[in-house]
Amino acid sequence: MTPILQITDLTAGIEEREILKGITLTVNPGEVHAIMGPNGSGKSTLASVLAGRADYTVTGGTVSFMGKDLLDMAPEERAREGMFLAFQYPVEIPGVSTANFLKTSVNELRKHRGQEPLAPAAFLSLMRERMKLVEMDQSFLSRSLNDGFSGGEKKRNEIFQMAMLEPVLAVLDETDSGLDIDALRIVAGGVNALRSSSTATIVITHYQRLLDYIVPDVVHVLWNGRIVRSGGKELALELEKRGYDWIKAESAVEA
Amino acid sequence: MSTDTFTTIVQTAFDAVAKGVNGQASGPMHLQRVAALNAFTKQGIPTTRHEEWKYTNVMPFIGLPFSSERHEGTTDPLTIDDISQSSSGLHEALEGGWTVAIINGRYEQNLSSVPQHVPGLTIEALTDELVATDSAVRTALGSLAPIDLHPFVAVNAALTHQGVVIRLDANITLERTIHIAIVNDVRQQDTLATPRILVLAGARSSVDIVESHHTIGSFTALDISVAECVLRPECAVRYTKIVDAVPNSTLKNISSIAASVEHGSRFTSFAVSLGASFVRNDLLVRLIEPASETYLYGASVLGGSEYADNHTVVDHAVHHCHSEELYKGLYDGSSIGVFNGKIFVRPQAQKTTAYQSNHTILLSDKAQVNAKPQLEIWADDVKCSHGATSGQLNEEAIFYLRSRGIDADKARALMTYAFVAEVLEHMDHDALRLHCEQRIATKLGAEPFAP
Ligand SMILES: Nc1ncnc2c1ncn2[C@@H]1O[C@H](COP(=O)(O)OP(=O)(O)O)[C@@H](O)[C@H]1O
Ligand SMILES: [Mg+2]
Repeated sequence: MTPILQITDLTAGIEEREILKGITLTVNPGEVHAIMGPNGSGKSTLASVLAGRADYTVTGGTVSFMGKDLLDMAPEERAREGMFLAFQYPVEIPGVSTANFLKTSVNELRKHRGQEPLAPAAFLSLMRERMKLVEMDQSFLSRSLNDGFSGGEKKRNEIFQMAMLEPVLAVLDETDSGLDIDALRIVAGGVNALRSSSTATIVITHYQRLLDYIVPDVVHVLWNGRIVRSGGKELALELEKRGYDWIKAESAVEA
Repeated sequence: MSTDTFTTIVQTAFDAVAKGVNGQASGPMHLQRVAALNAFTKQGIPTTRHEEWKYTNVMPFIGLPFSSERHEGTTDPLTIDDISQSSSGLHEALEGGWTVAIINGRYEQNLSSVPQHVPGLTIEALTDELVATDSAVRTALGSLAPIDLHPFVAVNAALTHQGVVIRLDANITLERTIHIAIVNDVRQQDTLATPRILVLAGARSSVDIVESHHTIGSFTALDISVAECVLRPECAVRYTKIVDAVPNSTLKNISSIAASVEHGSRFTSFAVSLGASFVRNDLLVRLIEPASETYLYGASVLGGSEYADNHTVVDHAVHHCHSEELYKGLYDGSSIGVFNGKIFVRPQAQKTTAYQSNHTILLSDKAQVNAKPQLEIWADDVKCSHGATSGQLNEEAIFYLRSRGIDADKARALMTYAFVAEVLEHMDHDALRLHCEQRIATKLGAEPFAP
């Protein structure tokens, strides 16, 4: 079985500064991995490197996505191959409607798979169905992308886009932060509805709370650019109870 | 000197008009022409040393051997089809609208498509006789765009002949759009044209007017246009000016549009500049009675060595008026954009609300923009603001689009398109908005994506 994602000794940084200091991680089909860790550990950096953000330079290691060299692909190619990043801070784009943007996006992915563009009616009904999943109002479709959306609306829009694009690997970067419990349940419901035995999810989060709804197979703790501990879902509960200091202390000793 | 050449051309053109005014040589319109010619002589051609013309350099073309005479018979007469073709699709887009054709500055009824008897609407030639006999026309003409506004308004007024008057009676809502197609026939020679438009909108009337400028032929067109709009109480005039000439058009358009807005009325203006080598727009809106308002929007999308200059003035002359202004420019190649936005709030204009914003994106290192907001506020109980930005495309947004499978070029085209399309969102006229979106998208190599 080919893993969906295979990261080996990945190091990356920005300008002179190294942020990721050797990450190794394997994600298999059907799995949900949670990545936790204090602020500034490098979680978003990892997500950005996977999505192909140009600000970060990969200085070593390899990333294979469904057996292909991910680091060799442009961001749009990664998306077309099935990589999806739910942004921690989704961008507002005035003048571009959510519906038209998604139509382009969905059809780019279809083209890549050798499929015809979706007919307008089919597209519309797909959108309606997937919006229900995240309880988003129809009126969002005609509004400019994320423009003037509340924090919660932006996060739901990310999950809605994920539902439309049906990725092989979804990386959710703190999709839970700033959400109230109802919104959290909705977002988690959306993610769970899309889980399958051939796809995988990486949930980056600060809190254990989201993991009550999206139950992970593996939990990793990222600190100071390294995965310092991995375990089952109990690890998240332990972190919730004890905080991160004990892990920091232990890894400082090891290092 | 090139300026002497132009002065001689204006004088010659004036003499030709004067010869044709039979019996009206001492009429009000001709007296106005004489005054205007003097005003022009006194002011001279503005140079870039003149503050208001700092970037507007007319010198490269002002010395061309312009003629304002048309020699019928040597080229095929123009047809409605020719006009339509020169309009870059606008004519078709306004299907169902009424065309008012102005060819080389003269209203041509036989090329226009306005029916004879539309209740409450009169469209007629602006003649010396009309000015002599019709006091509403006489009072309005030259009062909003006076001959001392700038030298080219004076040139227009000195040479004006067979302009057009559009009059809407009280309580008339016109469902159809009036499309003023200003066509410069430059198949034979470099041409100077001075189109003149007067709009009289009666109380509680409502109308959409689109003024477009085009060329047919490859000689240079110097198109010095003036439009004045009188808005009586509680009416709505939406006035869109589009310069989107065919590729390689040599159009040089110096345009002045002036409006006076009475109680409870609204003047909405769009200035869309897409294709022309040189555009200078002066827009002057006076809010002269309380509760009047104006909305000014501008979108310039330039490339190559194109030049578009928007000078706007909103004059809050009385209390309780509202103005909003949003201009955006997108400049590629070695194009140059200028925005100068003045807002005057007179001492008696308390409770004014006036907002202005101007945003620019430069798509190339060689493109330039010069933006200058100028708020002069003499009243104290007012809400006024202005904001201006100039920058490059938002790379974060481009990455966001790419992360959704859209390639870099398309993402850029989409972002640039969206930047300008935001202005068009304010356009209520669906067919016109779709047309403008489509034209801008085509120019940028994007698909229209507006909400
Ligand atoms: N674009 C950037 N420029 C400079 N420093 C950055 C940038 N992105 C991340 N960093 C630094 O890298 C470290 C990791 O950041 P980040 O990946 O955002 O952490 P997390 O998501 O775990 O909170 C932090 O110290 C942060 O300041
Ligand atoms: Mg983060």
